[in-house]
Amino acid sequence: MGTDGRALRRFLRNPSAWLGLLVMAGVLLMAATAGLFYPGDPQGMVAKPYLWPGQDPAFPLGTDNFGRDVTAGVFHGARVSLWIGVVSAAICLTIGTLVGAIGGYFGGWTDDLLTRLTEAVQTMPSFLFLIVLVAIFQPTLATITLGIGLVSWPTVARLVRAEFRRLRGQDFVLAARSLGFPHWRIIFQEILPNALPPLIVTTSVIVASAILTESALAFLGLGDPNVLSWGMMIGNGRAVIRTAWYLSAVPGALIVLTVLAVNLLGEALNDAANPRLGN
Amino acid sequence: MVLRMPGLSRRAFGAFGAVAGSGLLLPRTLRAQEEPVRGGTLRFLVDPEPTGLVPLSDTTGANVMLSCKITEGLYGYNLDFSLRPQLAVSHTVTPDGKELTFKLREGVKWHDGQPFTSADVAFSLMTLKASHPRGRATYANLEEVQTPDEHTVVLKMKAPAPYLLNALAGQESPIVPKHIYDGSDVTTNPHNHAPIGTGPFKFKEWQRGSHMIFERNEDYWDAGKPYLDRIIVRFIPDAAARSIAFETGEVDVGGDYPIPYSDLERLSQIPTLGIETRGYGYGPNISAIEFNLDNPYFAKPEVRQAVAHAVNKEILLQNVYYGFGEVATGPIHQAHTQFYTPDVHQYAFDPERANQLLDQAGLPRNDEGIRFAVSHDPLPIGNQHIQSGEYIRQALAQVGIQVTLRNQDMATYIKRVYADRDFDFVNNTMTNSPDPTLGVQRFYWSKNFKPGVPFSNGSHYENAEVDRLLEAAQVEQDPARRVQLFHDFQKIVAVDIPTLNTIAIQTFTIHSVNLKNHTLTADGIHANLAEAYLVS
Repeated sequence: MGTDGRALRRFLRNPSAWLGLLVMAGVLLMAATAGLFYPGDPQGMVAKPYLWPGQDPAFPLGTDNFGRDVTAGVFHGARVSLWIGVVSAAICLTIGTLVGAIGGYFGGWTDDLLTRLTEAVQTMPSFLFLIVLVAIFQPTLATITLGIGLVSWPTVARLVRAEFRRLRGQDFVLAARSLGFPHWRIIFQEILPNALPPLIVTTSVIVASAILTESALAFLGLGDPNVLSWGMMIGNGRAVIRTAWYLSAVPGALIVLTVLAVNLLGEALNDAANPRLGN
Repeated sequence: MVLRMPGLSRRAFGAFGAVAGSGLLLPRTLRAQEEPVRGGTLRFLVDPEPTGLVPLSDTTGANVMLSCKITEGLYGYNLDFSLRPQLAVSHTVTPDGKELTFKLREGVKWHDGQPFTSADVAFSLMTLKASHPRGRATYANLEEVQTPDEHTVVLKMKAPAPYLLNALAGQESPIVPKHIYDGSDVTTNPHNHAPIGTGPFKFKEWQRGSHMIFERNEDYWDAGKPYLDRIIVRFIPDAAARSIAFETGEVDVGGDYPIPYSDLERLSQIPTLGIETRGYGYGPNISAIEFNLDNPYFAKPEVRQAVAHAVNKEILLQNVYYGFGEVATGPIHQAHTQFYTPDVHQYAFDPERANQLLDQAGLPRNDEGIRFAVSHDPLPIGNQHIQSGEYIRQALAQVGIQVTLRNQDMATYIKRVYADRDFDFVNNTMTNSPDPTLGVQRFYWSKNFKPGVPFSNGSHYENAEVDRLLEAAQVEQDPARRVQLFHDFQKIVAVDIPTLNTIAIQTFTIHSVNLKNHTLTADGIHANLAEAYLVS
């Protein structure tokens, strides 16, 4: 555990880790308190349309073309963005880890088959593939999340497979084998924990890109129309970007900040796990 | 409660009634006194790139917009819908309405030098009857076209078709050369992409993805016209780029709201640009909420009335359409002045009344304040229907109706609404053109409930009296009585509201102030532009 303690200390000494943590905490707080501060439907029409930020203290970030409160929108939007980021990353990790671990551990024809499958998915332009998926299965929060997970797992699979190929010949794995451990135990309890550090770093990238992907979908009008997400707010605000730019800028800035925070955290984790890279 | 975008003055672009009546009349009379200038190249913007240039079977908007510059019709229509001779100079109708005789213009030549004759007209009309999406209805009663001489055609009808005289514009009933189309499949004839017509401009080239060039027809039958030397057609797929093209003077004219409504305020401030709202009477668009009457909730009149009371059309007009149009009162667009009547029942915005009606319908609120839940499908064209859907969702939540929005692509939408009938209610935009029998009847006539046919009677509305009125108007010879039939129809439908018509949309043209005479007819810049000219 000594090495882990050092990694944690390195992580906490990194200013970008703190910045990332701070911003993430802010976004998490927004998501957590959305229901408290804005218990109603964030899409409810509550005021005059096109109130500028600061024009009416009750609506600090202004209102949109239907008089919907932008502040309520970004608070509830934080929930959607985080949910999409975390859940689709979880789906992506589950599929990617299973495919990569099984292929990398067993090798042979199993590996060939799974590698071909990974490559097949990877050759498809993922965003277009996602648009097709969402068009076929109706854009709802569940289908979008699942879709993002389904198109982005190959990166994880390739990474996990490489780690398994590297680790499976090492002494501790041979020791486990000679002790007669079953395959699943070797995979999940022996090799996987040792393959985790690069996986954690990749996860942060996946969370960030899932948030961006959902925003892009919603911007194109392919988001779930029943939940307000940041991307959808930008898409709605786009039509009036020359006259009421704050409608796109506010949620846009939040997406930038959130994605930046996730990336900073990922980078800090990477530096902490691989101290040699930093020197 | 009137909600309005700050700084967006309705007067600047106008509710079209007011503008048509006053503001633009003065410059028009001044314009008439000016001497037209010969020469110059007009840069014409369309979006998207057309799929063809002769709307015989493919009536995609951009195709229709360009067609008349090259391919003409029998008549044009002045702004007041009076006839304007084009390839036909006059006509007579027998008292029983079953025989229409047209005298054709003499000395007209096709762009390839062949003479234009009655055989071309006979061929074109029979082709439209067979292959044009609306032509099947327009010419349904047409049995035979006789050609007693080269410059006379006689239309023999099974039954009178008074609406037919409204459908003869080149954009709706293009007259094409028989010697080019005879014996070929009109949908795939290569001349659909390189047309030969009788119009003021000749087709020269079409560089796919870039531009088209139409050259002046030196032998045009209306000697001295057209005034322009050339039209260059540009395709600019991005909405923001189109706005900039107008701002920088890269294009001279574009129609069918070529830029987002939200950019209009800015463009209207530019002194070199003009915004023209006339010239869209031939095919006006009306936005509507269409209910599925097979749905157990919307089958109840009280529920539909409650929706009508709960939706504030003024908010849709100001916040989705930026004031471009008028609140619709019924199924016929205000721009169809000869058929429209405002004298119908209106459901005022009154959420309390909506709540009462829903209580009466036996749909009380549950513990969470919800009476019932339905899905709503916005027509997937443009952003305005999705935005309308968002508003409708909010407005109905106030009266306890929980609405789930569903977005989908066009093919899925058409299949869901018209084939599978797997929908509760939708919001869409319908074209009224060019006569209620052709543009409006299809949505309300019980015999046009045809699952699988797009833009038919999607609500499954059945009303024997409405059927009788619509069918009587199909054959009524007397214009005044025909108008009365449509007035009676509007009154019934406005009470029943199988479809809640929301906005009579005002479309617009943006043009350089140097371009004159671009809008002289009911179809504006869709017409042939023979009289348009550029001043420097």
